[in-house]
Amino acid sequence: MFSVLKPHRWKLSLLLIAANLGLILHLACGELKSVSEWVWLDIFGEGGSALLALVWLGLVLKSRPAGRVTNYLALGLSCIFFSWWIDSLDEFIRLPDSITWDHWLESGPMPVGMILLTIGIYHWHREQLAISAQMEKRERLFREHRLFDKLTPLAGADYLKRQLADSLQDSQTQQQPLSLLALDLDHFAAINQAYGHAEGDAVLQALSHLLLLNLRRQDLLCRLAGDRFVVLLPNTGERQAKELALELQQAVHGLAHKTRLHGERLQLVATTAVVMALDEPPQDLLKRLNLALARAKQPLAKSA
Amino acid sequence: MAVKTSWYEADSRFIPGHYQPATLIDLALSRDIDSHRLLRGTGLFHEDILAGTARLSPQQFFGLIGNSRKLLDADDSSFLFGQRLLPGYYGAASHALGHAQNLHQALEILIQQQVLLSPLVTLHLELDAHHAYLYWRDSCGAGEHWRFLLEAGMTSLVAMSQWLSGERLPWVCCFSHAEPRYIEQYWVHLGEETRFERPLDMLSIPREYLTRAWPGASATAGQVARQQAREQIEQLGFASSFLDCLYDYLREQVRQPPSLEQAAQAFAMSPATLKRKLHKHDTGFQQQVDRVRKQVALHLYQVKGYSNDEVAAYLNFNDAANFRRSFKRWTGSTPNLIRQLFNSR
Repeated sequence: MFSVLKPHRWKLSLLLIAANLGLILHLACGELKSVSEWVWLDIFGEGGSALLALVWLGLVLKSRPAGRVTNYLALGLSCIFFSWWIDSLDEFIRLPDSITWDHWLESGPMPVGMILLTIGIYHWHREQLAISAQMEKRERLFREHRLFDKLTPLAGADYLKRQLADSLQDSQTQQQPLSLLALDLDHFAAINQAYGHAEGDAVLQALSHLLLLNLRRQDLLCRLAGDRFVVLLPNTGERQAKELALELQQAVHGLAHKTRLHGERLQLVATTAVVMALDEPPQDLLKRLNLALARAKQPLAKSA
Repeated sequence: MAVKTSWYEADSRFIPGHYQPATLIDLALSRDIDSHRLLRGTGLFHEDILAGTARLSPQQFFGLIGNSRKLLDADDSSFLFGQRLLPGYYGAASHALGHAQNLHQALEILIQQQVLLSPLVTLHLELDAHHAYLYWRDSCGAGEHWRFLLEAGMTSLVAMSQWLSGERLPWVCCFSHAEPRYIEQYWVHLGEETRFERPLDMLSIPREYLTRAWPGASATAGQVARQQAREQIEQLGFASSFLDCLYDYLREQVRQPPSLEQAAQAFAMSPATLKRKLHKHDTGFQQQVDRVRKQVALHLYQVKGYSNDEVAAYLNFNDAANFRRSFKRWTGSTPNLIRQLFNSR
């Protein structure tokens, strides 16, 4: 937690000092209200807003790498917090009517903060577009972080099933073919046994990057389970899908993965299978794909 | 009749922390899970496990499994755990498994040395003319974690037999639970021949695979390791769990099921103690009696090919309707449907 906030320690201490100065200034010039004069609704409303602004600030700083966009967001939220903080102070401290600077302190930072926050969010949006471009082939139009795989930078089976249902509908309304491709490593268990499961994990991660590089823009790559990957191929007939499958197989064959411990080269071989969607529910299509893969693996059974 | 007087219970601390629990801990650590959060509430310390001094009770192991499931939060946890389980690093018993001459011997080692190799799950092997059937039983009252243990257990056996035999074996996996949302994990880790909503949790394989020689096994090393593992079990003082001892006793008496009082007497304890022990294992006496009778009835149908009347007569039911009702209670299905299920295999 603290290591995350470290790059922002100047900003945070400045905010702390400013908030304290505001408090001291109020205390120096005004007098405390008695508890009977407190208006609880205002205290909750204004104090709660200030507190929430602080929570937003913390979340933003914690979830984002430091940088220009983060600075805009942090400064904007800091100003907003300061404004609400001063606003809630006068619930507890009464200032004499002759003093006018408190209005400036209260209302001045708010528009500045709003403008900074807007600039920050706008750049965040630009940044997100850039990231989404990088996420291409791993997700389509819909994002749900809970469906991401824990090991590889890909989506898992649940995301695939969801996308498959949508794509099946699209392909029917647009009268376009839709194909699915499955790719499964041969002798993956032997890699785990010989080099350890951590090496097996590294192979899967390398493989997911390799497969992404060999796909088209509109394709979606997911990790189904274990060492089995599935690619959703919109607007693709069976013949074209088979060509893609062959390309992926060759790419895997050509991958010179080195083990992490001794830099030894692992020769990877993959089996692929392709099915074209018929008029059927997603679950049946996936089942058919896996049976096709099992058949393709059959000659291997003797030597697996 | 005499019954074994030594067994392990859900709170007996005997599972070495660096055996099966360490396999799960290592899996969680490889997914960047904090070891303190992983062991929270189990009364265990990572240092003790690393030092090789920690001994877990089945209940503590369940606690660890519960934490791992929650923190890993992935559909493949049980399968990844299972892949790492066998032959494992559990001393002589693992050596014995690694040097098994064939599948049959490997299964016998697993069954005889269950307390070392698989303390939470009991295996039972049955053969008929063409098939070998391997039944999976809860030995310590796993409750909500049973499915996790079953997935891990079956994966471990399928993965180990594939590795040691050097070929993919045509296992058929049957589960009593319904098809889960994450069916693809079963396809990838257990194969396409996976069936759900079956009367029993079971693996089956054509009998000829039992005796095919496995490459790389050393007969001498295997024999010595088996002997060492037997000595280890003798030192431990027990070879099976309390629920398994009760199961064996009830199975012998299955044609005339004993009452709770009779069972308590056979186990040299008061009925109240027996009840309390069963409660500790999250079960009851009638539940255990039914479990045995269900297993025997299914065995008679499946392996002996008995008719409804013959099974009812064997289990001493006076009339067919009564038997059908009981059978429905045990399996959620009628005898005729179950027989169809077996015939369609």
